[in-house]
Amino acid sequence: MTLLSQVLDFCGVERERLRARWVSSAEAPEFVEEVNRFIDALKTLGPSPLKVKTAKMGVS
Amino acid sequence: MIDMVKQKIEALFKEKKIAGFLGLREQNGQVAPHLFMEGQALEGLCLGDRKIAGDARYPLNKILVTLARQYPEKTLGILARGCDERGLYGLFRLNQLDPDRVIPVGIACPGDLALACECKKPFPDALAAGEKIQAGESVKAGLETLAAMDTLDLDKRFSFWKNQFSKCVKCYGCRDICPMCFCKDCSLECEDLVSKGDLPVDIPVFHLTRAMHMADRCVDCGLCDEACPADIPLRLLYKKTAQIMDIEFGFTSGINKDERSPLSMMGPAPKKVAK
Repeated sequence: MTLLSQVLDFCGVERERLRARWVSSAEAPEFVEEVNRFIDALKTLGPSPLKVKTAKMGVS
Repeated sequence: MIDMVKQKIEALFKEKKIAGFLGLREQNGQVAPHLFMEGQALEGLCLGDRKIAGDARYPLNKILVTLARQYPEKTLGILARGCDERGLYGLFRLNQLDPDRVIPVGIACPGDLALACECKKPFPDALAAGEKIQAGESVKAGLETLAAMDTLDLDKRFSFWKNQFSKCVKCYGCRDICPMCFCKDCSLECEDLVSKGDLPVDIPVFHLTRAMHMADRCVDCGLCDEACPADIPLRLLYKKTAQIMDIEFGFTSGINKDERSPLSMMGPAPKKVAK
């Protein structure tokens, strides 16, 4: 994680787009909460720069 | 310099310490890796210097790994520059070579080569010929490139790497030349991860997969950079992962013979030791 988030940042991908957390299978509410928080964070960041690129390439 | 190397190798053969010596041989004007056997003269042995020093470098370690898999009982000698020896240390750590079955015959690189390579340590510990020189300026040049990247903002970095990665023709040259790539099954050839025959490659996943695998291995020899037909600055990318490993964990691949990689340890991350 330490490594990958920094490598992504180096390549121009926001490190907030990467997240890892251990959640037990017995902790469903924890999981839901975490995913919702991640979704909120991603909505604030907006669409991924990578996604834009793929769409463009699809056209050309 | 080559006479000293020859003497050393002949002595090793005489003392029955090695069964063969993996070096470079010049034949018909071409330099190629060659396994010199006992009883054979060291005819054509060369150090990879043709027009200028070190212009014929080969990943000899990679060939040594192949040989060691085939003949695990044999002790072999190998011609090693500073980068080759760093690679050997890495391969010892990763259990690909047995330190007791490898005898490096080290040669130091001249200053101009060290500078051109931006080499941190252009001489091996097992030095047989040449002088230990420090390539001071080159270190700066390397960091400056990384420093220059750090001054760019996120969008600029993204478009820089996107352009670079999209040049990739997926020739696997970087992996094939890499002395630290030894896996029998390569993730980059796993069809579930990388679709065959598709170009451009998945950006940035394809290159970052390799970068992550290289994080605690890359010895900064620069062969991938030289091999890449698309001139992707791969070395810059791996320099970055090496820098992160150093800053976060105080680890540099290939510097110590008995090193252990923080990425293969369980438990909390080791703290950087003050130098």
